[in-house]
Order: sequence, then structure tokens, then C-alpha cells
Amino acid sequence: MPPTENLGQKDSLLLPRIAKGDEEAMRKCIDAYGPLVWSIVCRRIDQRTEAEETCQDIFTEIWKFADRFDSKVSKESTFIGMIARRRSIDWQRKQSRLPTLSTLDGLPEKVTSSNFSMGSIDRADLWEALRKLPEDTLDLFSLHFEKGMSHDEISKHTDIPVGTVKTKLRRGLIDARKLVREFSDLKGADK
Amino acid sequence: MSSETVSRFEELDAGRALGDLSPDEVTEWESLAQEGAMDQTIDFDLLATELELNHTEDCALSSSLTKRLEDTIPAFSATIKSEQSATGQIISIIPWLGWAAAACLLVFFNLPTGNDTQDISAQLAEAKAELSDKEKTIADLESAKQELAKLNEKLSGELATESGKIDSLNTLIAKLTEKLPLLQKFESLIQDESNTQRLEFASASDPYTGLSGEVIWNDEKQEGYMSLENLAVNDPTKNQYQLWIVDPERDELPVDGGVFDITEKDGKSIIPIRNALAINKPVAFVITLEQPGGVVKSKQEIVVALAKS
Repeated sequence: MPPTENLGQKDSLLLPRIAKGDEEAMRKCIDAYGPLVWSIVCRRIDQRTEAEETCQDIFTEIWKFADRFDSKVSKESTFIGMIARRRSIDWQRKQSRLPTLSTLDGLPEKVTSSNFSMGSIDRADLWEALRKLPEDTLDLFSLHFEKGMSHDEISKHTDIPVGTVKTKLRRGLIDARKLVREFSDLKGADK
Repeated sequence: MSSETVSRFEELDAGRALGDLSPDEVTEWESLAQEGAMDQTIDFDLLATELELNHTEDCALSSSLTKRLEDTIPAFSATIKSEQSATGQIISIIPWLGWAAAACLLVFFNLPTGNDTQDISAQLAEAKAELSDKEKTIADLESAKQELAKLNEKLSGELATESGKIDSLNTLIAKLTEKLPLLQKFESLIQDESNTQRLEFASASDPYTGLSGEVIWNDEKQEGYMSLENLAVNDPTKNQYQLWIVDPERDELPVDGGVFDITEKDGKSIIPIRNALAINKPVAFVITLEQPGGVVKSKQEIVVALAKS
């Protein structure tokens, strides 16, 4: 288990140490999260050289933006996975000649909205909260996030127009954020 | 800011996290984000990642990639420490100064030249590290390419040699396979037939001095063979050897025993006798060199060998 998954044990977190230039923490980070980053990259990039270049770029961003990590907002693995995911998506968009989406460089220091906190939420609890989403949204989430299908592939698989797939996934993500906020509020009230 | 605009930005931001924005939507998102009133966050990115991670199984990194990643560490560590060192100096000095002086210092350290120098230094260090890494990779690849070329050359040579050996062995096998039945017949005619006649060949002219061999003949079976060694290889397009059998009881003229070629310089050649007429009691066998296809009656211009009782 990556060290960050030990919630509440701040000393075991690697990103704050990396933000201070701790080389040993950087090595441990490659060891602990390299396989996670590689699997995210390989889901989208099937050319080995390109995948390795992207992986190197991702770790460069991890070193660079380690100070933006907030353990209250997300788990360390989620933060690192997010950087890997964004870089890989950008690579795919470049291949399709689409404009790339902004990296963390383009975002302000304050990276999350108020009441959005997944750092202390257990993954099982999070998924339990998301079960309140409509059945068809959960089905689309499963096809997109679990099976890695593109919008076009989902459209062909479900006979739903691609525009509707796009809208439903976006609306689903917006609704999921609301549920996380409500869940964060409830957890805050319990404390 | 209208609620419709907020809602539209939210939808585009979710699309950004999903990676599905069209070029027009990217422009629209950037325009709305720059208005400043929108809450720019990574909420959707984190949420989408969390959804994906729930179904992602780790894949091990190759050792070469791990090494490449680890090689970038020193450059970044140095950059981070250098940035922190500059910040630490400001913080330690500030408490000793008054508000005005602190304000002046902040203005000073916010001057673009200082930050630019740090940024450029960091970028330079990063670029140099990357360049060094790439140069090493290229050198390694060049070296590997040369090794492969050498190996390829060596293997091509070995392949050609071995192929040549295989061809020679195939030729030898073909020759031996062809010779074996004749040799068996030759030996069988000597061992199994008591009336088989054996006569030794001797050279009959200077060019064939080294020739040796024998002829065997069986009247009952009308079968015979020659075994010849050190007889020169002939060119069948120019001339051929021909055997003549002398049988006085039949005719005073020698009987044609068949035309043959010598194809191997070394070793023993077994030649079957192909007598055109029945032979009763041969007293001599003569080999002559004739025109291709042989002749009906030899002028005996070139007599190669003679075997007589």
C-alpha cells in the first residue's frame, strides 16, 4: 500500500517532504507510485517510448507541484494519479490535434472549492455516497472510468448519441461533486 | 455573474476534467476562467481520478525507466532547495525590520529581475540535466548499434561458412548414395560368383601412368564392372572414355563395352560394363579416349589402359 493511504499519519506522507527537496522521499515516491502512474499512462498511450516520455514528464510535474498537495483535500495517490491522468489526456488530445488542457501551471494556488474534501473519506464510503447518483449515470461511469471506454465507444456500445454521453458524464461529475460536498459536511458535523 | 454562466462554466470544467472539450469549448472555458469570478479548482480532476483509480491495477515500472526517473531527482532537489534558501533568507530578516523596511524588502524581492534569474537558473538546470540524459541515451544507443552491426557481420560470415559446409555435405551424400549400389554389386559379383574373372588394369600410355584398378567379368551373368583410380577427369563435351572387350572366340574386332566419364579426381570410380553384344571368353579389356558418344570402331589413337589375362 502506498504510504499516503495511511490516513492521518502525516509523517508518512511523501509529497510534503518532496516539496522540501528530500531526495529520499522522491526515490520512495517513484517506488510507491511509479506503478500507479505507469498503469494510468498505459491505459491511454500504447507506444512505449511515448509512454515513458510522458511518465518522465509526470514525475517532473509531481516534483514541481508537490507543495500544492493538501492531505485534507485528497489522498496522495489521488493527487499523483490526477497529474498522471491530466498529462496522459493531454497526450491523447495532441494526437487528435485538439488543444491541450491546462496543467497545474494555469491554476491558482487555491486548488479546490470550499467543502470539497476527499482526503479523509474512505474510498468505500465515497463510493457508497455516489450510489445516490442515477443508475444510468453510474452505468456510464462504469463504462468510462472502469472499462476505459471513450465517448464514441460508449455511444456505440449503448446506442446513446455521443453528445448525450458527453453531457451525461459531465452532469454526473457535477452531481458527484455535490454528493462529496454533502458527505464532507456530514463528516464535519459528526466531528 | 448569472447563475446560467456559473452553471455553464461548471459544465465546461467537468468536461475539462473528462478531457472531452472541443476547441471552441476550450476557448469558452478560458474566457470564462479569465473573468476571475469563477472558482477555478481541481475538484473535478480529483473526483475523476478517484473514480478511475478504483478500477486501476498497478503495472510495474521497468528498471530502465525507474533509473531514468531517479536520474532526474538531483536536478530537481537542487532547484527546490535553492528556491527555499532564497525564501528562508527573506523570512529570517523580516522580524528585525520595521514595517516600512519590510515593505521595501518585499518590493525589492518582488522585482521581476530576481525572480526571473531564479526561474531561468532553475529552468537552465532542468534543461541541462535533460540534455545530459538525452546525450547519454544517444551515446548508449550508438554504442549498441555498433555492437549490433559487428555481431551482424560476424553472424553473416558464420552463416555463409556453415551454408557452404552444408552444400558440400549434400553433394558428398548424393555422390555416395549414387556410388553405394554399384559398389555393392561389384563386391557381390566377386564374392557370390565363383566364375567371375578378375584382371588388373595397367596404363597404356604416358599421360595415364598413375592409373590403377581392375575389371571383373562374369560370363554366365553377362555382367561386369571396372574399378578405376587416378584416371584423369574428362570433359564430356570434348571426349569420353570407351571400353573395348577382346573376345577372340566371338570376333577378331573388340566389342564395345560402353562409354563412360570420370567425374572425380580422387577416390575409386566403379563403372558398370555395358557390352553391346554377348561376350563368351574375354581375354583383354582396353580403355580408349574417344569423341563424345564414343565410336563404333576405335582407331585406338589414345589407348588409356589395358587389362589382359
